Amino acid sequence: MTELIDMIKTAYLPEFVIIVFILINMLASVFANPQFYKLSKWVTLFGICLAIASTFNLQIEPEAYAFDGAFLTNIYTVFFKILILICAFFLTLLSRNMIREKRDRAFEYFTVFLSGILFAMCAVSTVDFIGLFLSMEALGLSCYMLLSFTKSPASKQLTFGYLVQGAVVSSLFLVGLSLIYGLCAQVNLGMISLYFANTSSYGSTSQILLTFSLILMICSFLFKLGLVPFSSWLADTFEGANAPIGAFISSVPVLAGFGILAKIFMIFFNYTFTLKIVFAFIAVTTIILGSLSATRQDNLKRLMAYSMSVQSGIMLLGLCVFSVYSLSSVLFYLFCYVFANIGAWAAIILLYNSAKLQNLTDLKGLIYHRPYYVIAFTIVLIALAGLAPTCGFVAKLYIFSAVARSGFVFLPYLIVALLGTVIITYAYWRIIRGMFRRIETDIEIDTHMISSKFILYACALSTVVICIYADKIIQLCQLVAYYM
Amino acid sequence: MNFLSLIWLIAAPIIIAIIIMFPHFPNHQVKVRRFAKWFASLHFVYSLLFLAFFDSSLFGMSYEKELTFFGMSWLKSLGISAKFAVDGMTLLFVVLTTFIVLITLFMSKIHIRTKHKLYYSMVFLLEAAILGIFCAKDMFMFFVFWELSLIPLYFLVSQWGNSEARRAAMKFTLASFAANMFLFFGMLILYYYNFAVSNVLTANIETLNMDSNLYPVWFQVMVFVNFLIGFVVRIPFVLFHNWYPDIQSKASAPVNILISGLLLNTGVYGLIRFNMQTFPEIFKMFAPVLMVWGLVNIIYSGGLCVMQTGIKKMISYANISTMGFVMVGLASLNQTGFNGAVFCSIAAAIVFSALYVVISCVVFRTKSTYITALGGLGQVMPKCMYMALIICFAAVGIPFLIMFSPKIMILTGAMLSNLDQQLMVKIAAFIGLCAIAVSTGYIMFFFYKVFCSVLLDQWKKLKDLSPQETAILSAMCLIIIYLGVNPMSVISVYQSVSSIILDVLQV
Repeated sequence: MTELIDMIKTAYLPEFVIIVFILINMLASVFANPQFYKLSKWVTLFGICLAIASTFNLQIEPEAYAFDGAFLTNIYTVFFKILILICAFFLTLLSRNMIREKRDRAFEYFTVFLSGILFAMCAVSTVDFIGLFLSMEALGLSCYMLLSFTKSPASKQLTFGYLVQGAVVSSLFLVGLSLIYGLCAQVNLGMISLYFANTSSYGSTSQILLTFSLILMICSFLFKLGLVPFSSWLADTFEGANAPIGAFISSVPVLAGFGILAKIFMIFFNYTFTLKIVFAFIAVTTIILGSLSATRQDNLKRLMAYSMSVQSGIMLLGLCVFSVYSLSSVLFYLFCYVFANIGAWAAIILLYNSAKLQNLTDLKGLIYHRPYYVIAFTIVLIALAGLAPTCGFVAKLYIFSAVARSGFVFLPYLIVALLGTVIITYAYWRIIRGMFRRIETDIEIDTHMISSKFILYACALSTVVICIYADKIIQLCQLVAYYM
Repeated sequence: MNFLSLIWLIAAPIIIAIIIMFPHFPNHQVKVRRFAKWFASLHFVYSLLFLAFFDSSLFGMSYEKELTFFGMSWLKSLGISAKFAVDGMTLLFVVLTTFIVLITLFMSKIHIRTKHKLYYSMVFLLEAAILGIFCAKDMFMFFVFWELSLIPLYFLVSQWGNSEARRAAMKFTLASFAANMFLFFGMLILYYYNFAVSNVLTANIETLNMDSNLYPVWFQVMVFVNFLIGFVVRIPFVLFHNWYPDIQSKASAPVNILISGLLLNTGVYGLIRFNMQTFPEIFKMFAPVLMVWGLVNIIYSGGLCVMQTGIKKMISYANISTMGFVMVGLASLNQTGFNGAVFCSIAAAIVFSALYVVISCVVFRTKSTYITALGGLGQVMPKCMYMALIICFAAVGIPFLIMFSPKIMILTGAMLSNLDQQLMVKIAAFIGLCAIAVSTGYIMFFFYKVFCSVLLDQWKKLKDLSPQETAILSAMCLIIIYLGVNPMSVISVYQSVSSIILDVLQV
């Protein structure tokens, strides 16, 4: 028993806290009176704060294991967990209207929500393929459940499409996993890499098999991150989803996905060469196609869906030129992406919930009604576009300089990606331009949504503050990448 | 001189822009305009102080200042810092910038009728961005300001232009962003190659300039071409020049002054600072090509100029044509040519802004920009005609006016230049000499069509210049005459800079 407590204390504390609060929410959903629905939000917030606080209690130097070495805690995983928890904090505050509409299911909502967060955190920490598969699947399941939380027929249909495609790629993952298991009879990532280090030589059968099965497995991540061959679900799903759920899908699985992808790339890229080029190609195709599609959207949520796709593409480009430097740049990009993305979604939620604005044409003349919203939204969009006075610029500079550093093979991809960022800038620019139009409209906006406003302003402010203090965070990211 | 801080020089317009944009700032146009004019005047005086205390005999940068946040420099771990400094050349550009902004604000009263707050804050934002471009000592800071300058420009053109302005502004902004990406690409690979060679991660322009001989030639050519694309779009040169007449003909009059006065200089500055100073060897290699390009620029856009029907387009082609002289001067690779080129770009900014002031006076009264609809205005607007005559003579290059000495210096430099293809260069210089005749042709054609010929009936009741316009135009004419008589007062400020740059070129 003391061993168990010790293990939880050193390696598993934040997850444990989240599990406790999942149970609390679950029990409350059965027993609590629906008129106390607001309590669910505060309970969840308290749990998330507690979990963030508990990460400081973990043993991260050098590292700690739990569950017989299946669960790893080090500075890398803790970095991701804190990011995921910050996301969770913001997303909880953004969920106000979700639980107001369904008061009797408020606790249920947060049960599912917190399990999504839990499995995202577990996914980053696992060091074997079984745990990885399970946690990614469970994360996906919570996404499906959150998507179908409102019972409109449209959202059900879209969720079902998402579910089917998700099931297909999961089965691909399993095929790849079984191939690898058949080859080396291991599921642990470290053991598998050891096996290949001992046996594989360039062009050998085992290497070809490894490459093939890796491609199958990574399809699952490409799906979650909205990258090119599997990005068809994005726009429709986001359009059908409630905005807070859109914010969830565009941030938490992305964080978890890149956390794992970096790990997989680090372990296996030594044994494959062509994969780097393949993924660079995927990344660049995503950037170009995603940004071209984004410029043609009229719905804010659809636009944000393609925006997520493009941002993932940029991060994948940074990740596939694999070095400590590029990894730290991806970490920094993720850090900035969280704030910018959630800020943009907060603005969308605010506009939708207060005045049912969701198309670009509805936003005309908004500057005359709500100058502060518009300015904060503009700052956040500028951060997403990667322009000057926000952290987006530093992130983009850092990630592209990492690509430039990695050798001349990637330079054509770099220039195409840079041109792609111009196109996505135009897509964001369309939103901003609409808001600054001189047309006088009679939009009525009620402003009781304090939490969403708080998040919008906090994110806008933090994008600027991160830009000023970027140096400290870059140093932190370099440290994290180095320990990885 | 502790009170002279470049950071305040750049930050003050940004702060003022934010103050003006603030919702609680009065929305009354007179108040906004007075506030803006007062600030711009003070800012101009402040920038003059930099010139007054500047020691032009010094080699290298002065007034160096680093922006720190509680003692921490920006992005230290990436070797990027927010350092600012000026040398003689950039200091002149800085003073020119604040001067043109002041002129613009005085001209804005009659042309800007709506959204005053947005207009004045965008002008100041543009000013800050342009000042940042000239003062940044770090490559990526330069790029930040380079991109920042596009955003206010978009608003300035689209919001107060004619009905087609919005589309033109969007086209220009996107095309410039695309060109900027080539610039950014060049900077990124230069930044890393420099790290790989010298093992110091830095984006400091001076350090990068010193290490340039360490790179292989193919790499230098690659970066050089990327930079060239970025800057040539801005200057603008033939092949990449379409945006300039397009925007100038659609923007409102004060914005015309801003664009011709501020924007083109940044391209020239970038060309000198990056292409010439960082890759002297490659610049030498490309010099004949660039010289021919400059000549094509002079003659081709001069020819286009005569064919235009709108006066704004006409003057913008004349401006492009004049920028060709700058390229010829830079490509001649000697001190005379270089001095002439820098002086020429300053002179072009002054002369063409003055021409746009004249045009704005004419267009405001007649509401017509078509050259066929104008004519004989000199009979009803004599003051305007005489001022315009001085300015047009200056644009042509009449002796004792501002454009004379730079053009002569450029052509002398080209004649004396020591490039490999001697005969070709001599021919080029001769063609350039003939091109002055071309420029005389189109400028005088403009003057004749607008102010001489036959006066149409509908213009018989036009009023002459108001006192304010007279004051602005006579101030500009005085500058034009003063610098024409005494060109050394400008050239002596950047003499040391040109000798540094040409020492590296070793021609």
